[in-house]
Amino acid sequence: MNAETMSTTYLVLRFGLAIVIIGLGAFAYWLINQRLLVRARNNVSTLFNTLPNKPVLIYFTTPDCAPCKTIQRPAINRVSSLLGEDLEVVEIDATERPDLAKVWGVMSVPTTFVLDARGEARYVNNGVARAEKLLEQIQTL
Amino acid sequence: MTQPLQKVDHSALKTNQIIIISLNVLAFILNLPGLAAFVALVMGIGSLLKIPGFGFVYKNILKPRGWMKPDVLDDNPEPHRFAQFLGFLFMTAGSLSLFLGAPILGWSLVWLVVALAALNAFGGFCVGCAVYYWLSRFNLPGFSKQPPAGTFPGMKPKLGAS
Repeated sequence: MNAETMSTTYLVLRFGLAIVIIGLGAFAYWLINQRLLVRARNNVSTLFNTLPNKPVLIYFTTPDCAPCKTIQRPAINRVSSLLGEDLEVVEIDATERPDLAKVWGVMSVPTTFVLDARGEARYVNNGVARAEKLLEQIQTL
Repeated sequence: MTQPLQKVDHSALKTNQIIIISLNVLAFILNLPGLAAFVALVMGIGSLLKIPGFGFVYKNILKPRGWMKPDVLDDNPEPHRFAQFLGFLFMTAGSLSLFLGAPILGWSLVWLVVALAALNAFGGFCVGCAVYYWLSRFNLPGFSKQPPAGTFPGMKPKLGAS
Protein backbone atom coordinates (compact mmCIF):
# COMPACT_ATOMS: atom_id res chain seq x y z
CA MET A 1 0.00 0.00 0.00
CA ASN A 2 1.53 3.32 -1.03
CA ALA A 3 1.56 6.48 1.08
CA GLU A 4 -1.27 8.13 -0.85
CA THR A 5 -3.61 5.15 -0.42
CA MET A 6 -2.75 4.95 3.27
CA SER A 7 -3.45 8.64 3.67
CA THR A 8 -6.84 8.31 1.94
CA THR A 9 -7.74 5.23 4.02
CA TYR A 10 -6.75 7.11 7.17
CA LEU A 11 -8.92 10.06 6.16
CA VAL A 12 -11.89 7.81 5.40
CA LEU A 13 -11.44 6.05 8.76
CA ARG A 14 -11.40 9.34 10.63
CA PHE A 15 -14.46 10.50 8.69
CA GLY A 16 -16.22 7.23 9.57
CA LEU A 17 -15.30 7.62 13.21
CA ALA A 18 -16.64 11.20 13.20
CA ILE A 19 -19.90 9.93 11.68
CA VAL A 20 -20.16 7.21 14.37
CA ILE A 21 -19.60 9.74 17.17
CA ILE A 22 -22.15 12.17 15.69
CA GLY A 23 -24.53 9.23 15.17
CA LEU A 24 -24.25 8.28 18.83
CA GLY A 25 -25.05 11.87 19.78
CA ALA A 26 -28.05 11.88 17.45
CA PHE A 27 -29.21 8.57 18.97
CA ALA A 28 -29.00 10.07 22.46
CA TYR A 29 -31.07 13.04 21.21
CA TRP A 30 -33.62 10.62 19.68
CA LEU A 31 -33.87 8.79 23.02
CA ILE A 32 -34.58 12.07 24.81
CA ASN A 33 -37.31 12.88 22.26
CA GLN A 34 -38.85 9.43 22.75
CA ARG A 35 -38.96 10.12 26.47
CA LEU A 36 -40.73 13.43 25.76
CA LEU A 37 -43.28 11.64 23.56
CA VAL A 38 -44.01 9.07 26.28
CA ARG A 39 -44.45 11.93 28.71
CA ALA A 40 -46.78 13.71 26.28
CA ARG A 41 -48.85 10.53 25.78
CA ASN A 42 -49.35 10.32 29.52
CA ASN A 43 -50.46 13.93 29.76
CA VAL A 44 -52.95 14.37 26.91
CA SER A 45 -55.71 14.49 29.53
CA THR A 46 -54.23 17.75 30.87
CA LEU A 47 -55.33 19.43 27.61
CA PHE A 48 -58.48 17.62 26.50
CA ASN A 49 -61.50 16.24 28.27
CA THR A 50 -62.69 14.77 24.99
CA LEU A 51 -60.37 14.24 22.05
CA PRO A 52 -61.18 16.21 18.87
CA ASN A 53 -60.86 13.02 16.73
CA LYS A 54 -58.47 14.66 14.30
CA PRO A 55 -54.74 15.41 14.30
CA VAL A 56 -53.70 18.02 16.84
CA LEU A 57 -50.75 20.37 16.76
CA ILE A 58 -49.74 21.55 20.21
CA TYR A 59 -47.60 24.64 20.09
CA PHE A 60 -45.73 25.91 23.15
CA THR A 61 -44.63 29.53 22.88
CA THR A 62 -44.01 32.68 24.94
CA PRO A 63 -44.67 36.37 24.17
CA ASP A 64 -40.95 37.22 24.00
CA CYS A 65 -39.92 34.32 21.76
CA ALA A 66 -38.64 35.95 18.56
CA PRO A 67 -38.39 32.83 16.33
CA CYS A 68 -41.94 31.92 17.42
CA LYS A 69 -43.23 35.17 15.93
CA THR A 70 -41.04 35.32 12.85
CA ILE A 71 -40.91 31.66 11.79
CA GLN A 72 -43.00 29.26 13.86
CA ARG A 73 -46.26 31.20 13.92
CA PRO A 74 -46.30 31.83 10.12
CA ALA A 75 -45.44 28.15 9.54
CA ILE A 76 -48.34 27.02 11.74
CA ASN A 77 -50.68 29.50 10.04
CA ARG A 78 -49.69 28.04 6.67
CA VAL A 79 -50.24 24.45 7.81
CA SER A 80 -53.52 25.43 9.42
CA SER A 81 -54.80 27.16 6.29
CA LEU A 82 -53.79 24.19 4.11
CA LEU A 83 -55.47 21.59 6.32
CA GLY A 84 -58.39 23.69 7.52
CA GLU A 85 -60.85 21.74 9.67
CA ASP A 86 -58.71 18.61 9.44
CA LEU A 87 -56.27 19.94 12.02
CA GLU A 88 -56.72 21.30 15.52
CA VAL A 89 -54.08 23.75 16.69
CA VAL A 90 -53.64 24.30 20.41
CA GLU A 91 -51.38 27.19 21.35
CA ILE A 92 -50.03 27.31 24.87
CA ASP A 93 -48.27 30.33 26.33
CA ALA A 94 -45.70 28.83 28.69
CA THR A 95 -45.63 32.05 30.74
CA GLU A 96 -49.34 31.68 31.47
CA ARG A 97 -49.31 27.89 31.82
CA PRO A 98 -45.92 26.93 33.30
CA ASP A 99 -47.68 23.90 34.82
CA LEU A 100 -48.43 22.52 31.34
CA ALA A 101 -44.91 23.27 30.09
CA LYS A 102 -43.59 21.34 33.07
CA VAL A 103 -45.76 18.24 32.76
CA TRP A 104 -45.15 18.08 28.99
CA GLY A 105 -41.40 18.37 29.58
CA VAL A 106 -41.04 21.55 27.51
CA MET A 107 -37.70 23.18 28.25
CA SER A 108 -37.44 25.67 25.38
CA VAL A 109 -39.71 27.45 22.92
CA PRO A 110 -40.93 26.98 20.31
CA THR A 111 -41.75 23.33 20.93
CA THR A 112 -44.43 21.59 18.90
CA PHE A 113 -46.08 18.22 19.43
CA VAL A 114 -48.02 16.41 16.71
CA LEU A 115 -50.79 14.15 18.01
CA ASP A 116 -52.75 11.69 15.89
CA ALA A 117 -56.56 11.44 15.89
CA ARG A 118 -56.43 9.02 18.83
CA GLY A 119 -54.60 11.63 20.88
CA GLU A 120 -51.29 9.80 20.76
CA ALA A 121 -48.20 12.04 20.61
CA ARG A 122 -46.28 10.97 17.50
CA TYR A 123 -43.76 13.74 16.92
CA VAL A 124 -42.03 16.39 18.97
CA ASN A 125 -40.05 19.28 17.50
CA ASN A 126 -37.68 21.06 19.85
CA GLY A 127 -37.05 24.44 18.27
CA VAL A 128 -38.44 25.82 15.05
CA ALA A 129 -40.28 23.35 12.79
CA ARG A 130 -40.88 24.53 9.23
CA ALA A 131 -44.31 24.20 7.59
CA GLU A 132 -43.02 21.46 5.25
CA LYS A 133 -41.78 19.41 8.17
CA LEU A 134 -45.05 19.79 10.10
CA LEU A 135 -47.08 18.87 7.00
CA GLU A 136 -44.91 15.80 6.41
CA GLN A 137 -45.37 14.71 10.03
CA ILE A 138 -49.14 15.22 9.91
CA GLN A 139 -49.45 13.37 6.60
CA THR A 140 -47.71 10.28 8.01
CA LEU A 141 -50.26 9.94 10.85
CA MET B 1 -33.79 38.17 44.85
CA THR B 2 -34.57 40.14 41.70
CA GLN B 3 -31.73 41.28 39.48
CA PRO B 4 -31.52 43.25 36.28
CA LEU B 5 -31.32 41.07 33.18
CA GLN B 6 -29.76 42.16 29.93
CA LYS B 7 -30.67 41.62 26.31
CA VAL B 8 -28.73 38.62 25.02
CA ASP B 9 -28.92 37.67 21.36
CA HIS B 10 -29.01 33.87 21.39
CA SER B 11 -28.55 33.75 17.61
CA ALA B 12 -25.00 35.09 18.08
CA LEU B 13 -24.35 32.40 20.68
CA LYS B 14 -25.81 29.70 18.42
CA THR B 15 -23.68 30.81 15.47
CA ASN B 16 -20.61 30.67 17.69
CA GLN B 17 -21.49 27.14 18.83
CA ILE B 18 -22.21 25.84 15.32
CA ILE B 19 -18.91 27.20 13.98
CA ILE B 20 -17.02 25.67 16.93
CA ILE B 21 -18.70 22.31 16.22
CA SER B 22 -17.99 22.47 12.47
CA LEU B 23 -14.35 23.48 12.77
CA ASN B 24 -13.63 20.93 15.48
CA VAL B 25 -15.18 18.07 13.49
CA LEU B 26 -13.22 19.20 10.44
CA ALA B 27 -10.03 19.35 12.52
CA PHE B 28 -10.65 15.78 13.68
CA ILE B 29 -11.41 14.39 10.21
CA LEU B 30 -8.41 16.09 8.59
CA ASN B 31 -6.25 15.50 11.69
CA LEU B 32 -5.39 19.18 12.01
CA PRO B 33 -4.42 20.03 15.61
CA GLY B 34 -3.62 23.53 14.32
CA LEU B 35 -7.29 24.09 13.47
CA ALA B 36 -8.33 22.95 16.97
CA ALA B 37 -5.74 25.39 18.38
CA PHE B 38 -7.20 28.14 16.18
CA VAL B 39 -10.67 27.44 17.64
CA ALA B 40 -9.15 27.62 21.13
CA LEU B 41 -7.48 30.93 20.27
CA VAL B 42 -10.70 32.49 18.95
CA MET B 43 -12.62 31.31 22.02
CA GLY B 44 -9.87 32.78 24.22
CA ILE B 45 -10.04 36.13 22.41
CA GLY B 46 -13.86 36.04 22.70
CA SER B 47 -13.54 35.42 26.45
CA LEU B 48 -11.15 38.37 26.81
CA LEU B 49 -13.39 40.71 24.81
CA LYS B 50 -16.55 39.35 26.50
CA ILE B 51 -18.17 38.43 23.18
CA PRO B 52 -18.88 35.10 21.43
CA GLY B 53 -15.59 34.24 19.71
CA PHE B 54 -17.10 33.57 16.28
CA GLY B 55 -19.91 36.06 16.87
CA PHE B 56 -18.36 38.32 14.22
CA VAL B 57 -19.62 35.89 11.55
CA TYR B 58 -23.17 36.44 12.78
CA LYS B 59 -22.71 40.19 13.27
CA ASN B 60 -21.01 40.92 9.94
CA ILE B 61 -22.40 38.26 7.60
CA LEU B 62 -25.44 36.30 8.76
CA LYS B 63 -27.46 39.05 10.46
CA PRO B 64 -26.99 41.87 7.89
CA ARG B 65 -27.96 39.51 5.05
CA GLY B 66 -31.00 38.25 6.95
CA TRP B 67 -29.72 34.66 6.86
CA MET B 68 -30.19 34.42 10.60
CA LYS B 69 -32.72 36.36 12.60
CA PRO B 70 -31.96 37.85 16.03
CA ASP B 71 -33.26 35.88 19.00
CA VAL B 72 -32.95 38.48 21.75
CA LEU B 73 -33.91 37.26 25.21
CA ASP B 74 -33.73 38.70 28.72
CA ASP B 75 -30.82 36.77 30.15
CA ASN B 76 -27.50 37.04 31.99
CA PRO B 77 -24.52 37.31 29.62
CA GLU B 78 -22.00 36.34 32.34
CA PRO B 79 -22.82 32.59 32.44
CA HIS B 80 -22.44 32.40 28.63
CA ARG B 81 -19.04 34.10 28.86
CA PHE B 82 -18.05 31.67 31.59
CA ALA B 83 -19.22 28.75 29.42
CA GLN B 84 -17.07 29.99 26.54
CA PHE B 85 -14.11 30.37 28.89
CA LEU B 86 -14.58 26.77 30.07
CA GLY B 87 -14.70 25.71 26.42
CA PHE B 88 -11.50 27.67 25.81
CA LEU B 89 -9.78 25.82 28.69
CA PHE B 90 -10.88 22.41 27.34
CA MET B 91 -9.84 23.36 23.81
CA THR B 92 -6.47 24.63 25.00
CA ALA B 93 -5.87 21.44 26.99
CA GLY B 94 -6.99 19.39 23.98
CA SER B 95 -4.75 21.28 21.55
CA LEU B 96 -1.75 21.02 23.87
CA SER B 97 -2.35 17.28 24.28
CA LEU B 98 -2.45 16.91 20.48
CA PHE B 99 0.77 18.85 20.01
CA LEU B 100 2.45 16.94 22.83
CA GLY B 101 1.61 13.57 21.27
CA ALA B 102 -1.45 12.45 23.25
CA PRO B 103 -4.06 12.21 20.46
CA ILE B 104 -6.64 10.15 22.37
CA LEU B 105 -6.77 12.64 25.24
CA GLY B 106 -6.56 15.59 22.86
CA TRP B 107 -9.35 14.53 20.51
CA SER B 108 -11.49 13.38 23.47
CA LEU B 109 -11.33 16.91 24.88
CA VAL B 110 -12.13 18.37 21.47
CA TRP B 111 -15.15 16.04 21.11
CA LEU B 112 -16.26 16.96 24.61
CA VAL B 113 -16.40 20.60 23.51
CA VAL B 114 -18.29 19.53 20.37
CA ALA B 115 -20.83 17.60 22.47
CA LEU B 116 -21.37 20.47 24.92
CA ALA B 117 -21.67 23.03 22.10
CA ALA B 118 -24.17 20.76 20.30
CA LEU B 119 -26.21 20.34 23.48
CA ASN B 120 -26.36 24.12 23.76
CA ALA B 121 -27.02 24.84 20.07
CA PHE B 122 -29.61 22.12 19.43
CA GLY B 123 -30.92 21.26 22.90
CA GLY B 124 -30.95 24.73 24.46
CA PHE B 125 -28.98 23.59 27.52
CA CYS B 126 -25.75 25.39 28.40
CA VAL B 127 -23.68 23.18 30.71
CA GLY B 128 -21.14 25.94 31.38
CA CYS B 129 -23.99 28.25 32.42
CA ALA B 130 -25.35 25.54 34.73
CA VAL B 131 -21.88 25.27 36.33
CA TYR B 132 -21.80 29.08 36.71
CA TYR B 133 -25.21 29.09 38.48
CA TRP B 134 -24.13 26.14 40.61
CA LEU B 135 -20.99 28.05 41.70
CA SER B 136 -23.08 31.17 42.41
CA ARG B 137 -25.00 29.16 45.01
CA PHE B 138 -21.74 28.98 46.98
CA ASN B 139 -21.39 32.79 46.79
CA LEU B 140 -18.08 32.52 44.99
CA PRO B 141 -16.68 35.96 44.08
CA GLY B 142 -17.54 36.81 40.47
CA PHE B 143 -20.48 34.38 40.35
CA SER B 144 -23.28 36.64 41.49
CA LYS B 145 -26.03 36.09 38.91
CA GLN B 146 -29.10 33.94 39.37
CA PRO B 147 -30.99 32.23 36.55
CA PRO B 148 -33.85 34.29 35.02
CA ALA B 149 -37.11 33.72 36.90
CA GLY B 150 -38.78 30.45 35.97
CA THR B 151 -35.77 29.16 34.05
CA PHE B 152 -33.94 25.97 34.98
CA PRO B 153 -30.24 26.85 35.53
CA GLY B 154 -28.48 26.48 32.20
CA MET B 155 -31.61 26.25 30.05
CA LYS B 156 -32.39 28.85 27.43
CA PRO B 157 -34.82 31.35 29.03
CA LYS B 158 -38.37 30.80 27.90
CA LEU B 159 -40.20 33.13 30.24
CA GLY B 160 -40.71 36.87 29.97
CA ALA B 161 -38.50 39.38 31.72
CA SER B 162 -38.95 39.53 35.46
